[in-house]
Amino acid sequence: MVGFYIDAIAAIILFGVGLYGVTSKSDFLKIFFSLEMLLNAVILLLASAAYHFGLTRGLAIAYVVIVIATLEAAAGVLIFILANRMTGEVIPDHLDKAVNDE
Amino acid sequence: MSVLILAIVIILAIMSLAQKNTVPAVLSFVLMMFLLGIYYILMDEKLLGLFQIFVYTGGIVVLTLFGVTIIGAKFPKFEIRPWAVSIVTIVIIGFLIVPFLLPSMPLGGKPIPLKDQVKIFTDFYAEIAVFMGVVAASVLYGSIRMLHTLKYGKE
Repeated sequence: MVGFYIDAIAAIILFGVGLYGVTSKSDFLKIFFSLEMLLNAVILLLASAAYHFGLTRGLAIAYVVIVIATLEAAAGVLIFILANRMTGEVIPDHLDKAVNDE
Repeated sequence: MSVLILAIVIILAIMSLAQKNTVPAVLSFVLMMFLLGIYYILMDEKLLGLFQIFVYTGGIVVLTLFGVTIIGAKFPKFEIRPWAVSIVTIVIIGFLIVPFLLPSMPLGGKPIPLKDQVKIFTDFYAEIAVFMGVVAASVLYGSIRMLHTLKYGKE
């Protein structure tokens, strides 16, 4: 039980770091990293529940989350490169300038 | 051992967001994902650990490095947003309180039979519904905000 609490606290802190990154960072790459951290916090919690409590159904959700993270990474890098071509920067807030110029 | 690995994971997560240069940030991220994969393998979740290592350190990070190498981008300056700190603090405190509010699980080291696992998940249905509602509201707000910004420009 103690082991699960250690994992849960680590997952919550990781989730907090990711949430802080999503809300405060202003470039695509760090927002992307933060989103991956959010997903990994969930995976860590599910894996820990499967190990300590035998909740093996959570592992199926964990695999689905990993697949979604892969798709999100592919789409994220695409947007990242496209935004850089449009604006010459990696800042999502400046996308509106490029849209207005066009 | 597990505490040490998880502490290093959290430190690397913070480092990957705090680094100014691109490549050290990506490398911190790689190491964090690799350590998480090792941790899953130590927890007897070998398939999940291997998935983690192959997908994250082998796929996503290489893809990211490829993108970064193509555009050669540098990170912009850090912007201080105090409301972000307050949101994160509230969320962390909220999550830390939840385990104390939950009823104790029927445990004792024994694996829970598959037919009973549904009951455990449905006991927390209300909490999950509230959490998903908050996430959905955030996504909705973000989408509307982005559409507004793209249509009318930044205020």
